[in-house]
Amino acid sequence: MQSVTITLDGREVSGYPGMTILELARESGINIPTLCYDPHLSSIGACRVCLVENEQSGALLASCVTPIAPGMVINTHSPRVTGHRSTIVKLMLASHPDSCLVCDKGNRCQLRQIASDMGIGLSEFQRIPQMAAIEEVNPFIERDASKCILCAKCIRACQELAVEGAIDYFRRGFTAKPATLNDLPLEDSECSFCGTCVALCPTGALMEKERAYRGTTKTATQTTCPFCGCGCSICLEVKDNHVVRVTPGKQDAVNHGTLCVRGSYGCDFIHSPDRLTKPLVKANESFEEVSWEQALELAATEFKRIKDKHGPDSLAVLGSSKCTNEENYLLQRFARCVLGTNNIDNGSSLYNAATRIGLGTSIGFPGTTNYVSALEESEVIIAIGADPPSSAPIVGYTIKRAVKYKGAKLILIDPRRTKLSSFAYLWLRPKVGTDVALLNSLAKVIIDEGLLDEEFVARETDNFEACTKTLEEYSPEYAEAITGIASKEIRAAARLYAAASQAAIVYGSGITQHTSGTDSVKALANLAILTGNIGRRGGGIYALQRENNAQGACDMGALPNFLPGYQNVSDAQARRKFEDRWGVSLPANPGLTALEIVEQARQGKIAGLYIIGENPVLSFPHSSLVTQALTSLDFMVVQDMFLTETAKLASVVLPATSFAEKEGTFTNFEGRVNQVRKAIEPLGQSLSDWEIILRLADKMGCPLPFSSLQQVMDEVEELVPLYEGYADSQRLHEDELSIREAGRSYRGQLLRGFARFSPVQYTPHVPRQIRGREGKAPFLEAKEGYPFTLLTGTILYHFGTGTRSSRAWRLKKFSPQSFVEIGEADAQKLGISHCDKVSVISPVSKLTTIAKIIDGLPEGTLFMPISFPETPVNGLFDITLDPEAKTPSLKACNVRIERVGPHGEKEDSRTS
Amino acid sequence: MAKKKIVAQADLARIETVIAEYQNERWALLPLLERIQQEFGFIPPSSIGLIAKGLRLFPAQVQGVITFYAQLYTTPRGKNIVRVCRGTACHVRGGKTILKLVKRHLGIQEGEITPDFEYSLETVACIGCCALAPNMVINRNIYGRMNPKKVALIFGQHGRQ
Repeated sequence: MQSVTITLDGREVSGYPGMTILELARESGINIPTLCYDPHLSSIGACRVCLVENEQSGALLASCVTPIAPGMVINTHSPRVTGHRSTIVKLMLASHPDSCLVCDKGNRCQLRQIASDMGIGLSEFQRIPQMAAIEEVNPFIERDASKCILCAKCIRACQELAVEGAIDYFRRGFTAKPATLNDLPLEDSECSFCGTCVALCPTGALMEKERAYRGTTKTATQTTCPFCGCGCSICLEVKDNHVVRVTPGKQDAVNHGTLCVRGSYGCDFIHSPDRLTKPLVKANESFEEVSWEQALELAATEFKRIKDKHGPDSLAVLGSSKCTNEENYLLQRFARCVLGTNNIDNGSSLYNAATRIGLGTSIGFPGTTNYVSALEESEVIIAIGADPPSSAPIVGYTIKRAVKYKGAKLILIDPRRTKLSSFAYLWLRPKVGTDVALLNSLAKVIIDEGLLDEEFVARETDNFEACTKTLEEYSPEYAEAITGIASKEIRAAARLYAAASQAAIVYGSGITQHTSGTDSVKALANLAILTGNIGRRGGGIYALQRENNAQGACDMGALPNFLPGYQNVSDAQARRKFEDRWGVSLPANPGLTALEIVEQARQGKIAGLYIIGENPVLSFPHSSLVTQALTSLDFMVVQDMFLTETAKLASVVLPATSFAEKEGTFTNFEGRVNQVRKAIEPLGQSLSDWEIILRLADKMGCPLPFSSLQQVMDEVEELVPLYEGYADSQRLHEDELSIREAGRSYRGQLLRGFARFSPVQYTPHVPRQIRGREGKAPFLEAKEGYPFTLLTGTILYHFGTGTRSSRAWRLKKFSPQSFVEIGEADAQKLGISHCDKVSVISPVSKLTTIAKIIDGLPEGTLFMPISFPETPVNGLFDITLDPEAKTPSLKACNVRIERVGPHGEKEDSRTS
Repeated sequence: MAKKKIVAQADLARIETVIAEYQNERWALLPLLERIQQEFGFIPPSSIGLIAKGLRLFPAQVQGVITFYAQLYTTPRGKNIVRVCRGTACHVRGGKTILKLVKRHLGIQEGEITPDFEYSLETVACIGCCALAPNMVINRNIYGRMNPKKVALIFGQHGRQ
């Protein structure tokens, strides 16, 4: 590319064509002040502070929007420029309140910084009357239009980054301000409280509303968000060992300056008064505080006793998809070397196993095959079984950006109306659980109409014929009968997907948490390889992970059948490599999966359990059965931040630290390995999970040979081929978050050299016992007495089982209680009105909650969020497993719904 | 006098058919808003969502454009639009008094509409014929060299009871 040379402040500098003067100046080390410019946003030249002078024409130009041209002579700090610039800043100050002394923005205020840099004090201009602050009840964001300088950063952040479009300029002249539709409070608008605008606002116009601290902190730590699988870079601002503010991090290859409400305001749980600060031991049905020495001694003695008495396979370990890679690595080594069992699994097996097995079989890579940012280059995006705006907001933002600004077409496959529905080009609403039939039918249309990528299929795949054969019966008409989607729409979707030169598939737990999860994943992979959409720039398969380190926990071998790096435990050669390195002999039989551990515990075959950062009582199906299983254990150690429903059943509870108090790495769903850094000292006596594991191993008499995390990382690098180069990347500069572009992530080529078509059949859901029998009953056939299908999922303001989000006071305040969503027609039929108290009853359990009437649910369908501990939705589910992945069905079950009474009242008081 | 259709209750179905003509055309926002205003006399706030959906814009964006232009209205307007000039020349020659008198005659403040939807009262900064100051415009007719008598005469002539 031809470079463009201009003269900047008397110096010749070169840039690429299209570059703005401001960008080139910054590159050349010349500081031009700006208020409305941000590299993540489109430049609009609103504030005019960045003006510079073109010496030849004498024109004053806004440097952020003026591209460089050959031979330009630009002055950035000539007397004329600084004179005009200071007038502009003075005018801004004249319409700005003199409330700096009490303004939270304090030294972070960019207007004040620029004024002080330019030596501007009190302005001689006449002051302009100011507008009052806007009344709002949400606990997150406070708006004060009197401090607004109309730079439109918030507006652009809302429209271009988060793509919510909640605000825009309102009116003009002196009364202009950013406002929502009809100038309503934010909570009555489209706003999702992502906090991006608050982080970008240069002045105090947008502030955190309820905050822990008003000032500017001295220390800030770049780390990684602990909530969903996106792995956003966040910055924890710390004052007196308190995390007082969270802002989007600087190394933000994932989140590009954005966060979601959980990232921005959900980290309050770190300082929840419920945090465990001392080890607890159960004595006479109540917990007593003990010293670490005593607690670990007891745990070690009991584990040893059980191991000696019943053998190592009577012990099991449940690792956490929320803990770091290093911790999961240590934990699986603890299970395999110290306890001597393969009975180790992690919480992600509840939603991730189908992906691991399905994608592993098809494309030989157990995870997402592309970066989130590449979604913006896709021409067509299929989103199926996923609600990214709630479950993985960054993916949600990216899909919306692709549709809104890059002309991508979204095929949304979801029975529920979600935020993405209004962005969809095609919105298919299949009957719950009929995905395989739909996907097979899409593949059949593509093959029948010759829309497949023949070259790719011939060159890089096998098993095509077998797959074609099974697809024969899946004509769109046949699929229409099963899924309820018009055959015309199925054909349209297939054509749209196949015609795109780059097409992506995004799926989430709406696919993997069905009993047919593995089959659906394979069917999705078939679609992708049929059209050659693997390894393309804007194509690929995106398997959303619910939790921050679901990918990492599996990579690290916290799995019953895999050693670190997916090396099979039954493979003697793979085992040998680890045995040589670890100096022990490893058990060869695959261990038990999470659900099997619980089942075996109930049968008394598992006697001791060690759980880290998981809450099976709430996250597993059939709570009462799980509780029964866990109470029947001889001995259980739970290591957690809070006294969860599971921890209450434990014999020993070990207080673990939060992500803010430890070092390590998380692997996000794309496969990026993100750095976790310590921001504050551990609360009370709590210890990092990795320290506890090491100390417990010591106590058991089999110390693990590590004295620092670096040594663990070195060993991971040595033994896990996927993590090549990973330990090195840790030794980066303090401020850098080591995101390795190539490493764990998929690199474009097929690892095995080929992809395999996996023929899958649509199997209607039938209970486990009679699975495999002939005959096709419709999925989730309305059972006698349970006419509704209950769907479950994530909502934006809470996370997981709510252990952390319900202890984040701002999230809890905004979204205090659980609810069940019901369609208008259904509600009318049952005489349920908005906010009525209702019971949701499944064959297994029952709970009471509040009804919320919405439109956008198909008839006979209900929706409930999973994240409220007081209404354990997963408890409504019976344990039915995916035959291959052993994932329990946790997405849909049969229920009935009954009205109990009006809001907050009991039935009897009403009927009197 | 130009006849304008007064829509107290906006016919949203009709508006939807108008929007359909501009489906997915982001550039068409202003012409579309003008069309709607021409037909209904104002842009019903309830139509903002429909316009946004039709043109694939955010509702807040549509509102931003409407509130930016003084010529676009989101409230119903009278059959006759009375504009009294508040420009410098008119001010010097007693425009303020004219405005006061017009207000008294119509019984409304500026920016308001008479209960029978006959008149809207607005002020303008200048209408470009300062030689005739003080000025007033009713619909498209200019009334120059205004005085109290003329105000009374004009509003009598317009059939105001």
